[in-house]
Amino acid sequence: MSLSDYLLSTLGVYGLPVLFAALLIGAVGIPLPGSLMLLAAGSFTEQGDMNLYAVLALSAAGSILGDNIGYALGRWGGHRLSVRISRFIGSERHLKAAEEWLIKREGAGIFLSRWLITPLAPFINITCGMTGYSWPRFLLYDVLGEALWVVLYVLLGRLFSDRVQEVGELLGDFVWMIVGLLFAVALGWKLLKYFRSSSIDEERDETRGTLVDEAR
Amino acid sequence: MKKLGWYQWLLLAVFLLAVIVTGLFAVRAVRRAVYWQTHRDEQIRPWMSVRYVARSYRVPPHVLYQAIKLEPVPRDRRPLREIAREQNRPVEALVYELQQAIKDFRANPPPKLPPPTSPPGQTASPLAGATP
Repeated sequence: MSLSDYLLSTLGVYGLPVLFAALLIGAVGIPLPGSLMLLAAGSFTEQGDMNLYAVLALSAAGSILGDNIGYALGRWGGHRLSVRISRFIGSERHLKAAEEWLIKREGAGIFLSRWLITPLAPFINITCGMTGYSWPRFLLYDVLGEALWVVLYVLLGRLFSDRVQEVGELLGDFVWMIVGLLFAVALGWKLLKYFRSSSIDEERDETRGTLVDEAR
Repeated sequence: MKKLGWYQWLLLAVFLLAVIVTGLFAVRAVRRAVYWQTHRDEQIRPWMSVRYVARSYRVPPHVLYQAIKLEPVPRDRRPLREIAREQNRPVEALVYELQQAIKDFRANPPPKLPPPTSPPGQTASPLAGATP
């Protein structure tokens, strides 16, 4: 029997505490099928087995708490480690660049990774902590994103309350497709920029060459 | 054109990997969606309760309870895994019996949904006599 079968079975028997704990642990970074559990919980609320508001509140609380544990791990466990690593490989400059990039874009990253590109969330939590990203701002995007995730999946679970497993698998594929697409676009953009800059260099060399010829 | 350094080769490799992963998951998602269009039933899993299976397969719950020799329990949240453990048998056997019951029910659908059989000794609902 798979892990998700086991977890969903315990969700059926013990209810809310299992949901809270699984979402908390999943948010810290242990891969548990959190989305599927939210869908199942939504289905259980539709059938009157669980209370909708309790499910929403405890799910959000569990995942927000887990995210903040991840942030804290990065902040107090990770920063010292990252400084040591960066000193060791002599690229503190790179770390600084990453920090600046994160401060500029992390808002969108935090928010989107809560509900759309969920597999990236634990990494983003830890990097936010490691780079010393403002905690109140992290918390703001985190709460907004997690609230959207919980409401979205619980409502989908209610809507498709008779085919939770299938909807969960379909959404899982969809989410991984988005994650793959994101990486492909980011890396493709980087490669394109490299090729463009190298062709511009060549053009510059060529024009310099013709200018030198004309001068002669 | 500039020659590719090891870093560019690595970027290119990861880029291709990302494209392949995106494609694979896109194909999987589309296949699932197409399958979903043509097959109405989802696979019975150990985490599902009898009521969930009944709902998913649009079969009255008492038919399924009857098939696995249990009294219908209102608000029964026990997953099949738990019931199988109580009955001291593998969950696959339970799933098989449920599938058979669903198949039988669909082969001979009752003309009208029969009322759930109340357990012996239980008094009828007080509302039952009130309606003409």
